[in-house]
Amino acid sequence: MKQKALLIALLLGVGLLGACAQFESKRGVEVNWQTAVTDKLTRGESTRANVLALLGPPSQVIALDGETALYYLFEQSQGDGLVLIVYNRMRIDTRYDRAIFFFDEKDILTEYSTRIYAPDEG
Amino acid sequence: MKARSAPIVCTLLACWLLTACSQWRYDLGTPLPATDLPQQGMSLAQALDLLGPPQRMSATAAGFVLAWERWHIREDAIGVSLGALGADFLSADWGEMRVRGEFLLLTFDRQHQSTSATRSHWDNYGGGGKAIQPFLGFISVVDAGDLTGPLPQHNWGSSLLQRLPGTLNMVSNPGSGQSGLQQRGTPTAIGQQSLEMD
Repeated sequence: MKQKALLIALLLGVGLLGACAQFESKRGVEVNWQTAVTDKLTRGESTRANVLALLGPPSQVIALDGETALYYLFEQSQGDGLVLIVYNRMRIDTRYDRAIFFFDEKDILTEYSTRIYAPDEG
Repeated sequence: MKARSAPIVCTLLACWLLTACSQWRYDLGTPLPATDLPQQGMSLAQALDLLGPPQRMSATAAGFVLAWERWHIREDAIGVSLGALGADFLSADWGEMRVRGEFLLLTFDRQHQSTSATRSHWDNYGGGGKAIQPFLGFISVVDAGDLTGPLPQHNWGSSLLQRLPGTLNMVSNPGSGQSGLQQRGTPTAIGQQSLEMD
């Protein structure tokens, strides 16, 4: 009798209580392209050295036949899940904080654009 | 007591050991601005103001190409197995995937003027299947792995440290930023990555 109760309690515990999961994955370069930082840059004046000094090494350097582009990427995935053994649900949301800078053949900044997502931004 | 507890135990066993349902949801990126397709001749500065930094970029013979993308992937699967009872002689699985997304591609010349633009939206059945597999489960009936990988920029620094076929084909690799770009899920067995033999 006691053993049966224990068995039922065990099964209930495993089958009904289930589990939940939450995880986060981050990869890429450190996000240094906040507005306060990029406000120090001026199109037509700032150089590639200025950008590299402010932001550090980029994720990718792209050669454009005389021009170059520096691409900075920080990828963040957040997931949460419900694990009930008989029903499992996982949701993974990935956001890309990124910045791109274009330089002419004299290493002068010609264009740039940045994006940083707020935690709750859809 | 014996008669009352037996159905409970049986029900719990059936629920716990015999079946499982899994749902996976992937959101990659955020929706693109609901604007008209950029006009030919739009400047790079205007495009970046409108759309933000692109997710993908590559040099081209006439300038460069930028791409913005958003993906939502829904993967559902249900399986029935006796494996947890130690009798893994039969399992039955069903799964399907739906893929919804949008992709915007802009090409620019060397004067930073847009030369072409295209945008696509899709909401498609992305595959799935059913399987009855004795003894061992060899086949996953639904797999979104090739659609959910990281962007290629993360691999740029290590791109020459691949297996030899991949390194030798680096000049044609769309992840390099020098040889065009490709969307998620593009098959690698044909086209400019076929020599990598993935």
